[in-house]
Amino acid sequence: MPEDTTSTLPAASRPTSGPASAHAMPLPRRGLERLDLLLLCVEALDLNGGEAMIWMSEQLGFATLFPNRVELWKRRCTNPLRRATRRGQLEPLESDALIRILCAMAERLYPLLRQLLSSNEPESVTAERWGLFQARLADLVAERLNLRRGGVQRLLHAEQGHQLARQLVRALSLSAGVGGFERLRASLLDAPA
Amino acid sequence: MKLSYRYEQTSARLQLEGLPDVSIGQGEQVLGILTSWQLTLAGRPELEGKREHLLALIQVVLPYARHLVSDVPRAFGSATSPVAIEPKGPGHRLLLRSSQPDTEPLDLQLDDAELADLVRCLDQARLDWRVQLPLALPEAQPLKRRELLVRVPLAQRLAAPIVGAAAVALTASLALMVPPPRPTPPPGASTAPTTPAEPPANGPR
Repeated sequence: MPEDTTSTLPAASRPTSGPASAHAMPLPRRGLERLDLLLLCVEALDLNGGEAMIWMSEQLGFATLFPNRVELWKRRCTNPLRRATRRGQLEPLESDALIRILCAMAERLYPLLRQLLSSNEPESVTAERWGLFQARLADLVAERLNLRRGGVQRLLHAEQGHQLARQLVRALSLSAGVGGFERLRASLLDAPA
Repeated sequence: MKLSYRYEQTSARLQLEGLPDVSIGQGEQVLGILTSWQLTLAGRPELEGKREHLLALIQVVLPYARHLVSDVPRAFGSATSPVAIEPKGPGHRLLLRSSQPDTEPLDLQLDDAELADLVRCLDQARLDWRVQLPLALPEAQPLKRRELLVRVPLAQRLAAPIVGAAAVALTASLALMVPPPRPTPPPGASTAPTTPAEPPANGPR
Protein backbone atom coordinates (compact mmCIF):
# COMPACT_ATOMS: atom_id res chain seq x y z
CA MET A 1 0.00 0.00 0.00
CA PRO A 2 1.63 3.25 -1.04
CA GLU A 3 2.10 5.86 1.57
CA ASP A 4 -0.25 8.78 1.44
CA THR A 5 1.91 11.86 1.89
CA THR A 6 -0.63 14.12 3.50
CA SER A 7 -3.56 12.11 4.66
CA THR A 8 -3.85 11.72 8.35
CA LEU A 9 -7.42 11.84 9.55
CA PRO A 10 -7.55 15.26 11.20
CA ALA A 11 -5.53 16.80 8.37
CA ALA A 12 -7.89 15.39 5.78
CA SER A 13 -10.82 17.08 7.39
CA ARG A 14 -9.09 20.34 8.17
CA PRO A 15 -10.56 23.40 6.47
CA THR A 16 -8.63 24.22 3.32
CA SER A 17 -9.66 27.79 2.77
CA GLY A 18 -10.67 29.85 5.76
CA PRO A 19 -13.71 29.38 7.94
CA ALA A 20 -16.18 27.48 5.86
CA SER A 21 -19.20 28.62 7.82
CA ALA A 22 -18.61 32.33 7.31
CA HIS A 23 -20.40 32.43 3.96
CA ALA A 24 -22.37 29.22 4.25
CA MET A 25 -26.04 28.88 3.50
CA PRO A 26 -28.41 26.41 5.15
CA LEU A 27 -28.72 23.13 3.28
CA PRO A 28 -31.85 22.76 1.16
CA ARG A 29 -34.20 19.85 1.61
CA ARG A 30 -32.46 17.64 -0.93
CA GLY A 31 -29.09 18.43 0.61
CA LEU A 32 -30.35 17.29 4.02
CA GLU A 33 -31.61 14.06 2.47
CA ARG A 34 -28.32 13.33 0.71
CA LEU A 35 -26.21 14.18 3.73
CA ASP A 36 -28.11 11.71 5.89
CA LEU A 37 -28.09 9.06 3.15
CA LEU A 38 -24.31 9.39 2.86
CA LEU A 39 -24.00 9.00 6.62
CA LEU A 40 -26.21 5.90 6.38
CA CYS A 41 -23.83 4.55 3.72
CA VAL A 42 -20.95 5.06 6.12
CA GLU A 43 -22.83 3.08 8.74
CA ALA A 44 -23.51 0.36 6.19
CA LEU A 45 -19.81 0.16 5.35
CA ASP A 46 -18.62 0.26 8.93
CA LEU A 47 -20.53 -1.89 11.40
CA ASN A 48 -19.33 0.37 14.17
CA GLY A 49 -20.01 3.50 12.15
CA GLY A 50 -22.34 5.16 14.66
CA GLU A 51 -19.73 5.01 17.41
CA ALA A 52 -17.01 6.03 14.98
CA MET A 53 -18.96 9.18 14.13
CA ILE A 54 -19.12 10.19 17.78
CA TRP A 55 -15.40 9.56 18.13
CA MET A 56 -14.67 11.48 14.97
CA SER A 57 -16.84 14.39 16.11
CA GLU A 58 -14.74 14.65 19.28
CA GLN A 59 -11.50 14.31 17.32
CA LEU A 60 -12.49 17.16 15.01
CA GLY A 61 -13.42 19.41 17.91
CA PHE A 62 -17.20 19.33 17.55
CA ALA A 63 -17.87 18.20 21.12
CA THR A 64 -19.60 21.48 21.92
CA LEU A 65 -21.88 21.23 18.87
CA PHE A 66 -22.67 17.55 19.39
CA PRO A 67 -22.00 16.86 23.07
CA ASN A 68 -23.58 13.41 22.90
CA ARG A 69 -25.00 10.94 20.45
CA VAL A 70 -28.56 12.17 20.97
CA GLU A 71 -27.64 15.65 19.72
CA LEU A 72 -25.93 14.16 16.70
CA TRP A 73 -28.98 11.99 16.09
CA LYS A 74 -31.33 14.98 16.34
CA ARG A 75 -29.39 16.84 13.66
CA ARG A 76 -29.55 13.84 11.36
CA CYS A 77 -33.31 13.65 11.88
CA THR A 78 -33.75 16.90 9.91
CA ASN A 79 -33.71 14.57 6.90
CA PRO A 80 -37.30 14.77 5.58
CA LEU A 81 -37.14 11.09 4.58
CA ARG A 82 -36.76 9.93 8.21
CA ARG A 83 -39.53 8.08 9.98
CA ALA A 84 -39.28 10.51 12.87
CA THR A 85 -38.28 13.65 11.03
CA ARG A 86 -37.71 16.96 12.78
CA ARG A 87 -38.94 20.21 11.33
CA GLY A 88 -36.59 23.03 10.55
CA GLN A 89 -33.19 23.40 8.97
CA LEU A 90 -29.69 22.78 10.15
CA GLU A 91 -27.64 25.81 11.06
CA PRO A 92 -24.77 26.25 8.58
CA LEU A 93 -22.30 25.61 11.40
CA GLU A 94 -24.00 22.30 12.21
CA SER A 95 -24.26 21.19 8.60
CA ASP A 96 -20.59 22.04 8.01
CA ALA A 97 -19.65 20.00 11.08
CA LEU A 98 -21.67 17.02 9.83
CA ILE A 99 -20.06 17.31 6.38
CA ARG A 100 -16.60 17.40 7.96
CA ILE A 101 -17.40 14.30 10.00
CA LEU A 102 -18.67 12.59 6.86
CA CYS A 103 -15.55 13.53 4.87
CA ALA A 104 -13.29 12.27 7.65
CA MET A 105 -15.24 9.01 7.78
CA ALA A 106 -14.96 8.71 3.98
CA GLU A 107 -11.22 9.20 4.30
CA ARG A 108 -11.08 6.45 6.91
CA LEU A 109 -13.15 4.10 4.75
CA TYR A 110 -11.47 5.03 1.47
CA PRO A 111 -9.83 1.61 0.92
CA LEU A 112 -13.27 -0.03 1.20
CA LEU A 113 -14.86 2.51 -1.13
CA ARG A 114 -12.09 1.95 -3.60
CA GLN A 115 -12.57 -1.81 -3.54
CA LEU A 116 -16.26 -1.37 -4.30
CA LEU A 117 -15.61 0.97 -7.23
CA SER A 118 -12.63 -0.73 -8.77
CA SER A 119 -13.08 -2.72 -11.97
CA ASN A 120 -9.78 -4.52 -11.42
CA GLU A 121 -11.12 -6.68 -8.61
CA PRO A 122 -12.53 -10.12 -9.47
CA GLU A 123 -16.17 -9.75 -10.47
CA SER A 124 -17.46 -12.36 -8.07
CA VAL A 125 -15.71 -10.69 -5.14
CA THR A 126 -17.02 -7.28 -6.15
CA ALA A 127 -20.55 -8.63 -6.52
CA GLU A 128 -20.34 -10.20 -3.09
CA ARG A 129 -19.11 -6.93 -1.55
CA TRP A 130 -21.90 -4.96 -3.21
CA GLY A 131 -24.44 -7.52 -2.07
CA LEU A 132 -23.28 -7.25 1.51
CA PHE A 133 -23.17 -3.46 1.42
CA GLN A 134 -26.59 -3.13 -0.15
CA ALA A 135 -28.14 -5.58 2.30
CA ARG A 136 -26.82 -3.56 5.24
CA LEU A 137 -27.91 -0.30 3.64
CA ALA A 138 -31.39 -1.70 2.96
CA ASP A 139 -31.67 -2.80 6.61
CA LEU A 140 -30.71 0.65 7.83
CA VAL A 141 -33.04 2.35 5.36
CA ALA A 142 -35.97 0.11 6.33
CA GLU A 143 -35.29 0.70 10.00
CA ARG A 144 -34.92 4.48 9.92
CA LEU A 145 -36.57 5.96 6.85
CA ASN A 146 -40.19 6.41 5.90
CA LEU A 147 -40.96 3.58 3.50
CA ARG A 148 -43.95 5.37 2.02
CA ARG A 149 -41.72 7.98 0.41
CA GLY A 150 -40.89 7.48 -3.27
CA GLY A 151 -37.22 8.29 -2.75
CA VAL A 152 -36.91 5.60 -0.09
CA GLN A 153 -38.73 3.03 -2.21
CA ARG A 154 -36.29 3.71 -5.05
CA LEU A 155 -33.40 3.01 -2.69
CA LEU A 156 -34.88 -0.39 -1.88
CA HIS A 157 -35.69 -1.19 -5.51
CA ALA A 158 -33.53 -3.98 -6.94
CA GLU A 159 -32.15 -2.13 -9.99
CA GLN A 160 -32.59 1.53 -9.09
CA GLY A 161 -31.29 0.79 -5.60
CA HIS A 162 -27.99 -0.51 -6.93
CA GLN A 163 -27.57 2.50 -9.18
CA LEU A 164 -28.34 4.91 -6.33
CA ALA A 165 -26.03 3.05 -3.94
CA ARG A 166 -23.23 3.25 -6.50
CA GLN A 167 -23.79 6.99 -6.89
CA LEU A 168 -23.60 7.43 -3.13
CA VAL A 169 -20.41 5.36 -2.84
CA ARG A 170 -18.82 7.30 -5.71
CA ALA A 171 -19.76 10.60 -4.07
CA LEU A 172 -18.21 9.36 -0.82
CA SER A 173 -14.99 8.40 -2.58
CA LEU A 174 -14.71 11.85 -4.16
CA SER A 175 -15.46 13.50 -0.81
CA ALA A 176 -12.50 11.87 0.91
CA GLY A 177 -9.21 13.70 1.03
CA VAL A 178 -8.15 17.29 1.40
CA GLY A 179 -10.40 18.79 -1.29
CA GLY A 180 -13.42 16.63 -0.53
CA PHE A 181 -15.15 18.94 1.91
CA GLU A 182 -15.49 21.84 -0.54
CA ARG A 183 -16.74 19.53 -3.27
CA LEU A 184 -19.32 17.80 -1.12
CA ARG A 185 -20.60 20.98 0.52
CA ALA A 186 -21.07 22.65 -2.87
CA SER A 187 -22.92 19.55 -4.07
CA LEU A 188 -25.26 19.50 -1.08
CA LEU A 189 -26.08 23.16 -1.73
CA ASP A 190 -27.18 22.48 -5.32
CA ALA A 191 -30.34 24.22 -6.43
CA PRO A 192 -33.48 22.09 -6.22
CA ALA A 193 -34.03 20.34 -9.55
CA MET B 1 18.35 23.11 -4.07
CA LYS B 2 16.09 20.89 -6.13
CA LEU B 3 12.83 19.88 -4.48
CA SER B 4 10.73 16.84 -5.26
CA TYR B 5 7.29 16.17 -3.78
CA ARG B 6 5.36 12.99 -4.42
CA TYR B 7 1.62 12.36 -3.93
CA GLU B 8 0.64 8.73 -4.08
CA GLN B 9 -2.50 6.68 -4.15
CA THR B 10 -3.09 3.06 -5.04
CA SER B 11 -3.26 3.60 -8.80
CA ALA B 12 -1.90 7.11 -9.26
CA ARG B 13 1.31 8.88 -8.42
CA LEU B 14 2.06 12.51 -9.08
CA GLN B 15 5.57 13.85 -8.68
CA LEU B 16 6.45 17.53 -8.81
CA GLU B 17 10.00 18.77 -9.16
CA GLY B 18 11.20 22.30 -8.91
CA LEU B 19 12.94 25.01 -6.99
CA PRO B 20 12.04 27.68 -4.48
CA ASP B 21 11.65 31.11 -5.97
CA VAL B 22 14.19 32.94 -3.86
CA SER B 23 13.58 36.20 -5.73
CA ILE B 24 10.29 36.54 -3.86
CA GLY B 25 11.70 35.21 -0.61
CA GLN B 26 10.27 31.68 -0.63
CA GLY B 27 11.61 29.28 1.98
CA GLU B 28 13.81 26.30 1.26
CA GLN B 29 10.93 23.85 1.38
CA VAL B 30 8.63 25.83 -0.90
CA LEU B 31 8.37 24.78 -4.51
CA GLY B 32 7.77 27.99 -6.42
CA ILE B 33 9.24 27.15 -9.82
CA LEU B 34 8.07 23.91 -11.42
CA THR B 35 10.74 22.32 -13.59
CA SER B 36 8.94 19.06 -14.35
CA TRP B 37 6.09 16.83 -13.28
CA GLN B 38 5.26 13.18 -13.87
CA LEU B 39 1.93 11.46 -13.48
CA THR B 40 1.90 7.68 -13.36
CA LEU B 41 -1.40 5.85 -13.64
CA ALA B 42 -1.12 2.11 -12.98
CA GLY B 43 -0.73 0.15 -16.20
CA ARG B 44 -0.50 3.27 -18.38
CA PRO B 45 2.42 5.17 -19.84
CA GLU B 46 3.96 7.86 -17.68
CA LEU B 47 2.76 11.36 -18.43
CA GLU B 48 4.82 14.49 -18.13
CA GLY B 49 4.67 18.03 -19.31
CA LYS B 50 4.98 21.69 -18.53
CA ARG B 51 3.26 23.65 -15.83
CA GLU B 52 0.48 24.62 -18.26
CA HIS B 53 -0.33 20.97 -18.86
CA LEU B 54 -0.59 20.26 -15.15
CA LEU B 55 -2.82 23.28 -14.75
CA ALA B 56 -5.00 22.09 -17.65
CA LEU B 57 -5.27 18.66 -16.04
CA ILE B 58 -6.37 20.18 -12.73
CA GLN B 59 -8.81 22.56 -14.39
CA VAL B 60 -10.52 19.71 -16.20
CA VAL B 61 -10.43 16.77 -13.79
CA LEU B 62 -11.46 18.53 -10.59
CA PRO B 63 -14.58 20.29 -11.98
CA TYR B 64 -15.53 16.95 -13.57
CA ALA B 65 -15.26 15.30 -10.16
CA ARG B 66 -17.30 18.11 -8.64
CA HIS B 67 -20.12 17.40 -11.12
CA LEU B 68 -19.89 13.68 -10.44
CA VAL B 69 -20.52 14.25 -6.74
CA SER B 70 -23.81 15.87 -7.77
CA ASP B 71 -24.43 12.96 -10.13
CA VAL B 72 -24.38 15.23 -13.17
CA PRO B 73 -21.58 13.83 -15.31
CA ARG B 74 -20.62 16.01 -18.26
CA ALA B 75 -17.62 16.49 -20.51
CA PHE B 76 -14.93 19.03 -19.68
CA GLY B 77 -12.23 20.36 -21.99
CA SER B 78 -12.70 21.60 -25.53
CA ALA B 79 -11.59 19.86 -28.71
CA THR B 80 -8.40 21.93 -28.77
CA SER B 81 -7.47 21.93 -25.08
CA PRO B 82 -4.57 19.71 -24.01
CA VAL B 83 -6.76 17.72 -21.62
CA ALA B 84 -10.37 16.62 -21.91
CA ILE B 85 -12.48 14.23 -19.88
CA GLU B 86 -15.94 12.82 -20.42
CA PRO B 87 -18.10 10.00 -19.12
CA LYS B 88 -17.81 6.87 -21.22
CA GLY B 89 -19.67 3.68 -20.42
CA PRO B 90 -19.32 2.80 -16.77
CA GLY B 91 -16.07 4.79 -16.52
CA HIS B 92 -14.39 7.97 -17.67
CA ARG B 93 -12.39 8.79 -20.77
CA LEU B 94 -9.36 11.01 -20.23
CA LEU B 95 -7.92 12.41 -23.43
CA LEU B 96 -4.45 13.98 -23.38
CA ARG B 97 -3.29 15.85 -26.47
CA SER B 98 0.41 16.27 -26.97
CA SER B 99 1.86 19.61 -28.00
CA GLN B 100 4.24 17.72 -30.30
CA PRO B 101 3.10 17.72 -33.93
CA ASP B 102 1.85 14.49 -35.50
CA THR B 103 1.34 12.82 -32.15
CA GLU B 104 -1.88 10.97 -31.54
CA PRO B 105 -3.74 11.95 -28.38
CA LEU B 106 -3.44 9.55 -25.50
CA ASP B 107 -6.81 8.02 -24.74
CA LEU B 108 -7.17 6.60 -21.22
CA GLN B 109 -10.19 4.80 -19.82
CA LEU B 110 -10.43 5.17 -16.05
CA ASP B 111 -12.82 3.46 -13.67
CA ASP B 112 -14.35 5.23 -10.68
CA ALA B 113 -11.61 4.08 -8.31
CA GLU B 114 -8.81 5.27 -10.59
CA LEU B 115 -10.53 8.62 -11.06
CA ALA B 116 -10.89 9.00 -7.28
CA ASP B 117 -7.17 8.24 -6.87
CA LEU B 118 -6.25 10.81 -9.50
CA VAL B 119 -8.50 13.43 -7.93
CA ARG B 120 -6.92 12.83 -4.51
CA CYS B 121 -3.40 13.21 -5.92
CA LEU B 122 -4.31 16.46 -7.68
CA ASP B 123 -6.05 17.77 -4.55
CA GLN B 124 -3.04 16.97 -2.41
CA ALA B 125 -0.66 18.76 -4.77
CA ARG B 126 -2.98 21.74 -5.19
CA LEU B 127 -3.56 22.22 -1.48
CA ASP B 128 -0.05 21.42 -0.25
CA TRP B 129 1.30 24.52 1.50
CA ARG B 130 4.80 23.64 0.23
CA VAL B 131 3.68 23.99 -3.38
CA GLN B 132 3.26 27.69 -4.17
CA LEU B 133 2.36 27.38 -7.84
CA PRO B 134 -0.63 29.06 -9.45
CA LEU B 135 -2.63 25.83 -9.44
CA ALA B 136 -5.62 27.23 -7.59
CA LEU B 137 -9.12 26.68 -8.86
CA PRO B 138 -12.16 28.84 -8.20
CA GLU B 139 -14.05 27.58 -5.16
CA ALA B 140 -16.54 24.83 -5.95
CA GLN B 141 -20.02 26.29 -6.41
CA PRO B 142 -23.48 24.74 -6.09
CA LEU B 143 -24.90 23.77 -9.46
CA LYS B 144 -27.72 25.83 -10.89
CA ARG B 145 -31.14 24.45 -11.66
CA ARG B 146 -30.56 24.22 -15.40
CA GLU B 147 -27.34 22.25 -14.84
CA LEU B 148 -29.24 19.71 -12.78
CA LEU B 149 -31.98 19.19 -15.34
CA VAL B 150 -30.09 16.32 -16.96
CA ARG B 151 -30.60 14.37 -13.75
CA VAL B 152 -34.36 14.38 -14.32
CA PRO B 153 -35.48 12.09 -17.18
CA LEU B 154 -36.82 13.89 -20.25
CA ALA B 155 -40.28 12.30 -19.91
CA GLN B 156 -40.52 13.48 -16.32
CA ARG B 157 -39.32 16.96 -17.25
CA LEU B 158 -41.88 17.28 -20.05
CA ALA B 159 -44.78 15.69 -18.17
CA ALA B 160 -45.91 18.79 -16.26
CA PRO B 161 -45.92 21.24 -19.21
CA ILE B 162 -47.60 18.70 -21.50
CA VAL B 163 -50.33 17.92 -18.98
CA GLY B 164 -50.79 21.66 -18.37
CA ALA B 165 -51.08 22.47 -22.07
CA ALA B 166 -53.49 19.56 -22.59
CA ALA B 167 -55.66 20.77 -19.72
CA VAL B 168 -55.82 24.29 -21.16
CA ALA B 169 -56.66 22.95 -24.63
CA LEU B 170 -59.37 20.66 -23.24
CA THR B 171 -60.94 23.44 -21.19
CA ALA B 172 -60.88 25.79 -24.17
CA SER B 173 -62.50 23.22 -26.50
CA LEU B 174 -65.21 22.46 -23.94
CA ALA B 175 -65.84 26.15 -23.53
CA LEU B 176 -66.26 26.53 -27.31
CA MET B 177 -68.87 23.75 -27.37
CA VAL B 178 -71.15 25.57 -24.98
CA PRO B 179 -73.71 27.55 -27.04
CA PRO B 180 -73.67 31.29 -26.56
CA PRO B 181 -76.65 32.62 -24.58
CA ARG B 182 -79.59 34.02 -26.62
CA PRO B 183 -80.01 37.75 -26.43
CA THR B 184 -82.76 38.59 -23.97
CA PRO B 185 -85.13 41.49 -24.69
CA PRO B 186 -84.77 44.47 -22.45
CA PRO B 187 -87.26 44.59 -19.59
CA GLY B 188 -90.61 46.25 -20.45
CA ALA B 189 -90.16 45.85 -24.20
CA SER B 190 -92.13 42.58 -24.48
CA THR B 191 -95.68 44.28 -24.63
CA ALA B 192 -94.81 47.12 -26.99
CA PRO B 193 -95.63 46.61 -30.70
CA THR B 194 -92.66 46.07 -32.84
CA THR B 195 -94.21 47.57 -36.02
CA PRO B 196 -96.30 50.72 -36.33
CA ALA B 197 -100.09 50.06 -36.38
CA GLU B 198 -101.81 50.39 -39.73
CA PRO B 199 -105.49 51.04 -40.19
CA PRO B 200 -107.50 47.98 -41.24
CA ALA B 201 -108.26 47.83 -44.95
CA ASN B 202 -112.01 47.18 -44.40
CA GLY B 203 -112.52 49.48 -41.53
CA PRO B 204 -115.38 52.09 -41.20
CA ARG B 205 -115.19 54.93 -43.62
